[in-house]
Amino acid sequence: MEIYLPIAGQSINVFLLLGLGGMAGLLAGMFGVGGGFLATPMLIFVGIPPAVAVASQANQVIANSVSSLQVQWRRGNVDLRMGLVLLLGGVVGSSAGVVLFTFLKRIGQIDFVIAVLYVVMLSTIGGLMSFESLRTYFRQKRHPEAPRGKLHQHYLVHRLPWKMRFYKSKLYISALLPIGLGFLIGVLSALLGVGGGFVLVPAMIYLLGMPTSVVIGTSNFQVLFVAANVTFLQSATNGTVDVVLALLLILGGVVGAPIGSRLAARLPGVVLRGMMAVLILAVAAELLIELLRAPGSPYSIGLREVLK
Amino acid sequence: MRRLALLLALGLGLGAPAFAQGPRVEPAPPPPAMPAPRLPDPGAPVTPPDLVMDLSAARVSITSAFQGEKLLLFGMFDPPGEVVVVVQGPPARETVMRKERFLGLWLNTGRQAFDDVPAYYYIAASQPLQRLLARGTGGEILSLADRLASVRSVGTREDSDLTRFRIGLTDVKRREGLYPADIGQVTIQANRLFRVDLPFPSRLPEGVYDVRAYLLRDGKIVAAISRPLPVAKVGFNAQLAGWANREGELYGLGAILMALLVGWIGGTVMRRL
Repeated sequence: MEIYLPIAGQSINVFLLLGLGGMAGLLAGMFGVGGGFLATPMLIFVGIPPAVAVASQANQVIANSVSSLQVQWRRGNVDLRMGLVLLLGGVVGSSAGVVLFTFLKRIGQIDFVIAVLYVVMLSTIGGLMSFESLRTYFRQKRHPEAPRGKLHQHYLVHRLPWKMRFYKSKLYISALLPIGLGFLIGVLSALLGVGGGFVLVPAMIYLLGMPTSVVIGTSNFQVLFVAANVTFLQSATNGTVDVVLALLLILGGVVGAPIGSRLAARLPGVVLRGMMAVLILAVAAELLIELLRAPGSPYSIGLREVLK
Repeated sequence: MRRLALLLALGLGLGAPAFAQGPRVEPAPPPPAMPAPRLPDPGAPVTPPDLVMDLSAARVSITSAFQGEKLLLFGMFDPPGEVVVVVQGPPARETVMRKERFLGLWLNTGRQAFDDVPAYYYIAASQPLQRLLARGTGGEILSLADRLASVRSVGTREDSDLTRFRIGLTDVKRREGLYPADIGQVTIQANRLFRVDLPFPSRLPEGVYDVRAYLLRDGKIVAAISRPLPVAKVGFNAQLAGWANREGELYGLGAILMALLVGWIGGTVMRRL
């Protein structure tokens, strides 16, 4: 069954979109991150213009994060103070990101920048994750009850000014750190249409040293508002948010997410992280091949302006 | 008996035009060879037009179920002669990008804008065009290649390179189905009826298209008619697209609200299941 997408300006199979949304939801349920990093490249592969794919995906991320924030909030897993500080950076970053996006689109380099950013980001994260999960796996095999390390390490970054207390996260760190992190995630979110959870979550654990219990909820909180900001700005400046496309992805995701979380409950964490690492690396490899392979035709149409 | 003869004459005389007006009618068997009797009709001009045409739909409506569409253009002409049909989408400035290998990666390095590029171009004829246009038609009828050769480039560039961009533009449009063929076939039935299918792809730019039919005799245009063909989103699609264009802020807020609502309700419902 085909449906015409009013903003993308083309027809596409409904079940393909529902399936893509379902897969993103499944990932969200399994790993606690949105599946945007997978869904956006897939949308571009099936021929949705990158500008529309990114903007509509941001719209989908809102739905994804609100339904998982619902649960996290009730369980008290949101460090509101940390979330707000992150958000401060996030709003500025995503606004700058939309401006950058519009500029890159105008000069015809947005597709390339999206692809390169994905490759760099996904291969870094996928590499780190697979390394970490392999290490944990072998450690667990050797010492099933390895002693827990320090709560968090102290790095150079802890000497930055404007220190703030984050009670829920049991942290006393410079506010510049979460603001900078939020800014970076905001830019990524605007350029790639991802929530950024898959970068934010590891960064919160390893960089900020937040306890894992509040990481997912706080990340959801920041992602929700940043995605809303991106959706608003993309639609106000570029008019590229396709709500029909977003709705189909959301509906797929709503079904996929609980299936994912049920699957996640049955598998040990290290296996889950390993699976996710493999998936991330596979998407990165596919995108890299696209960049390296000679295109079918080197020509494409960048811009169409009706002159009056 | 007299009445019967009159009825018969009426049927024969009106049969062909009536058929020409009805959309999606299968081609009828050729009418009798004898000239159709003309009924005296005081008040109206005695000579009928040399060329008439109609389309199976007055407009192309882009609905939620739109997947591209085939329109039938049909009509009648006064023989002898050959028929050429040209359908053109609204012109625009299009920028063609060219990828090149840079440090092993393929990225857009060249760009060239062209003015007056038709969004859609389809030309069909009842005879090979070269033969029809051999004696020239004053540049009125242009083959796809000629039409594209007349597209103005913006700025200056070396000729051979410009040609490559021009060919690149044509290839992209052809892949998208916007330049369906070099030349389509106009089918002539019974020496006076003609028909041609106009294929429109799913990724069709909106605007008022121009549909023209020409009657040629000995390479000269003896009759030409044109009519506009509006291509537009309708209903829900039109409303959404219009909203996104005119009231981007409001549309954005609506999109956010929709996502919040569906995400919230969906999450609640699915957790209960």
